[in-house]
Amino acid sequence: MTMTPPASNPPLLDIRDLVVSVQGRKVLNGLNLTVRAGEVHAIMGPNGAGKSTLSNVLAGRADYTIEGGQVHYHGEDLLSLPAEQRARRGLFLGFQYPVEIPGVNNVYLLKAALNARRLQQGLPEVDAFEFLALVRDKMKLMQMDESFLHRGVNEGFSGGEKKRNEILQMTVLEPTLAILDETDSGLDIDALKVVANGVNSLKGPDRAIVLVTHYQRLLDHIVPDHVHVLAAGRILKSGDRHLALELERRGYDWVLEEAAA
Amino acid sequence: MSARAESTSPLARLAGALASTPGARKLALAALAELALPNSRDDAWKYGATRLLDRRDLAPLAPKPVDLAALNARPALDAHRIVLVDGRLRPDLGSLDAPGVTLTDDLPSDLSTDPAFFGDPQSVDDRLRFLNGALCPSRVTLAIAADTCIERPIEIVLIATGNTAYPRLVVELGQHASVSLIEWHLGVGSTESLMIAHEDIHLAAGATLHHATLEQSGSRALAFGDIRARLAADSHYRHQWVALGGQHNRLDLQVSLEGAGAHATLTGLFMADTGSDHHLRTRIEHRAAHTGSDQRYRGVAGGRGRGSYDGKIVVHPGAQKTSSRQSSRNLLLGREAEIDTRPQLEINADDVKCSHGATTGTLDPQMEFYLLSRGLDPNAARALLTYAFVGDILKDLKPAALRQAIETQVLTRLPDAALLREFVA
Repeated sequence: MTMTPPASNPPLLDIRDLVVSVQGRKVLNGLNLTVRAGEVHAIMGPNGAGKSTLSNVLAGRADYTIEGGQVHYHGEDLLSLPAEQRARRGLFLGFQYPVEIPGVNNVYLLKAALNARRLQQGLPEVDAFEFLALVRDKMKLMQMDESFLHRGVNEGFSGGEKKRNEILQMTVLEPTLAILDETDSGLDIDALKVVANGVNSLKGPDRAIVLVTHYQRLLDHIVPDHVHVLAAGRILKSGDRHLALELERRGYDWVLEEAAA
Repeated sequence: MSARAESTSPLARLAGALASTPGARKLALAALAELALPNSRDDAWKYGATRLLDRRDLAPLAPKPVDLAALNARPALDAHRIVLVDGRLRPDLGSLDAPGVTLTDDLPSDLSTDPAFFGDPQSVDDRLRFLNGALCPSRVTLAIAADTCIERPIEIVLIATGNTAYPRLVVELGQHASVSLIEWHLGVGSTESLMIAHEDIHLAAGATLHHATLEQSGSRALAFGDIRARLAADSHYRHQWVALGGQHNRLDLQVSLEGAGAHATLTGLFMADTGSDHHLRTRIEHRAAHTGSDQRYRGVAGGRGRGSYDGKIVVHPGAQKTSSRQSSRNLLLGREAEIDTRPQLEINADDVKCSHGATTGTLDPQMEFYLLSRGLDPNAARALLTYAFVGDILKDLKPAALRQAIETQVLTRLPDAALLREFVA
């Protein structure tokens, strides 16, 4: 296997000067980020820095106002696509707080999601038998109980179960770009390893993973190629995995001070 | 009453038109002439469009031939069957042959001998009962003998042929008897019809009645149903209301818990849309200690649909250790849709557990975004959430063939039914 020099690899996600406001308040203020296939990025930052806003804007949530800038995904104008089109093109958001939807079966939602993606790819609908085998396989990876098959979406799930369910969905849908918003929050160390395993299983030369996280500990298990500090609505500093360790040791203040200087 | 007033009152006109009616109910007809139809100024009729009644001819006409297609359009169930066409029992269309079950068809001879049959004409709550009592062509009584358990459900099919129908039913269960009734209200296509149906239910000690009322009338049908159930000790009444059809529906459901251990479980859903309004009014009376009631209703309104839930629980003095729950959750799918709720509690005992809650809202945007973020089409996502909203009411319907049929009917009212069907399987 030959390694492709990263710079010659066209960007999968290219964010330029993104400015976003929520109810008149600017949350992202000129954010730039380039993510190429095969890479794992970690976006870290203090609370209120705009991390979740970035995740939600990329996934297509409606309650944000794009004030300026551009986002290209596979060379396409991402911001002009509705949320469902982004998902069908292989963009996946792992939610920080996955919502409970009683009455909507967990597995049928997954099947509908997979078929929506396959339709976009020009593939036939998944065979029901093969689908179940696939889901069972991934559930084993995520150490999820058989009962999850029959429950409503996240209905009555614990915090950790919800996060596992997000990663289960991701491993079945095999997105091209996975954005995982604080997937590590609320997980104990065993669950963290299971979730990390699931994420690592998705790594590949054609995909990219963006981990949005507050803490370094997830990065012990999922090793990032690039680490960015998001604060005050912008990427203030970028580096390799060692930056995450430094942030763990020193906190975020020094980055803010450095940026202000 | 002045001649002018007489000419404008629908009930007076009706009484005049039927003056030559033979039999003892003449007195009732005469009394009608002095009464007014319920209207929205009456508290009990606050919701719904009683004015629609004013415009209809209230006089029953000679029955029209039955459209068997309408009768057979309902799902085939393995059940006994009783059919009433425009309020008249039609033994030729039904079949009921089970030991311990008797079906009688009679009419009280006089207003004075059976006042309960007519109700109190001065009470606005009884106004339509009085009208039904004066005009019903027969009283059909289904009696289940004590200690009899009827395994096959009994279907009761009420058809309005485009006429004005006044069905009157009585259901009596002896001690420890049990039966399941599936009651259909059917109309014929888009024919204008009016059905004012009154039902009295008596459960003796230890009896169990499962009763589903399925409102499936035609697009120009007005239906006013009234069920009054009396429950003796340790009896259980379970009622399910599914209102999907008709131009304007109203159900008044009164349950009187009269013996210790009596319990009522009342659930239901309506789906209103432009040209199809649904109104439910429940009155639960806890008259004995250790009685329980549990109400769970869902309403959905789209377009310019209207709906309402007006539910009152009364705990009478001495009805200690009563447990009563009431929940009405409603979903508005359009800006012009409207659902009104009025939950009420009146508690006259100190050792009781009562809870009530009524909500009306739109689809949860977080749930909607979650589904979109998984690639679902926006229409499909909304339909799925709408279905999920009513799904837990539907899943209690029995037998399975009935549940599936009603699920299909609900699905076909939503976009992307084919996709949704997967979720229901």
